[in-house]
Amino acid sequence: FFQGLLSLLRNLKAKPEQEVRILTLGLDNAGKTTILKALASEDISHITPTQGFNIKSVQSQGFKLNVWDIGGQRKIRPYWKNYFDNTDVLEEKLSGVPVLIFANKQDLMGASRADEISKGLNLVSIRDRPWQIQGCSALKGEGIQQGLEWVMNSVNKRKK
Amino acid sequence: FQTMPSKSDDILKGFKLNWMNLRDGESGKIMWQGSEDLSLPDSEHEARVPKRILKCKSVSRELNFTSQEQMENFRLEQKIYFKGTVIEEWNFEFGFVIPGSTNTWQSIIEAAPESQMMSASALSGNVLIETLFFDEDLLVSKSRVRVFYV
Repeated sequence: FFQGLLSLLRNLKAKPEQEVRILTLGLDNAGKTTILKALASEDISHITPTQGFNIKSVQSQGFKLNVWDIGGQRKIRPYWKNYFDNTDVLEEKLSGVPVLIFANKQDLMGASRADEISKGLNLVSIRDRPWQIQGCSALKGEGIQQGLEWVMNSVNKRKK
Repeated sequence: FQTMPSKSDDILKGFKLNWMNLRDGESGKIMWQGSEDLSLPDSEHEARVPKRILKCKSVSRELNFTSQEQMENFRLEQKIYFKGTVIEEWNFEFGFVIPGSTNTWQSIIEAAPESQMMSASALSGNVLIETLFFDEDLLVSKSRVRVFYV
């Protein structure tokens, strides 16, 4: 994964010393940490609720990519806004910043499909930013890479 | 006669470095994990890491900490020393820290080309990972881990 991230990072054609920042937000137990761990090929069998943040930083040839995963529990949500500064991709709000929505847990029978969620959230009404909804299963490692590629392409376009 | 404890005392008292680990960046497998009181000031910890880590294309360093107090501008300075000389430096700004939170920071580093890599025996015991934690300019904690390749 990190090899993947590193090559995506190079494809960003970011100016050296430029930092790309991705913020993941969502309700507790949505699977944000699991998605990031699955991406990193890490063991996902003992993930506990995030009581703060998890940050992954990758640095390559002067480019920096930081992924911020913030806990989704109710008591933590009031603090989300403290992490909105300088975010390049936010998976849920912020002006002009591309939004990727992961419809996780698609391996479960009762999971809403991406198109149902898109309808429920009325995503087609979003016109002020690029957005994408991606069905995935962090447990099975499906759909995550595709979502990330969209993120990288969107950040690339935004930088131009 | 007692003075009121200062905010910085509270931050220092409420800060704990819980664990650190090193992973193969490709497979995600943990190659070393330490959880003894890493942030005990003035003590140097030892990490015995399998020497095959030197063959990894990338390595991840990860640390986990708890803070009871809110911090406005939390940051860290991580320095890797070889025989006392800084060979790599990584500064990171977290900014805000939620009171009562437990947080993880993972940094992924690409390995030097194999031709430039020193041997395990040359590196072993000569590499020191030093991490300094600050809130603004207040030194909150410090960790020093000496790496042995076994």
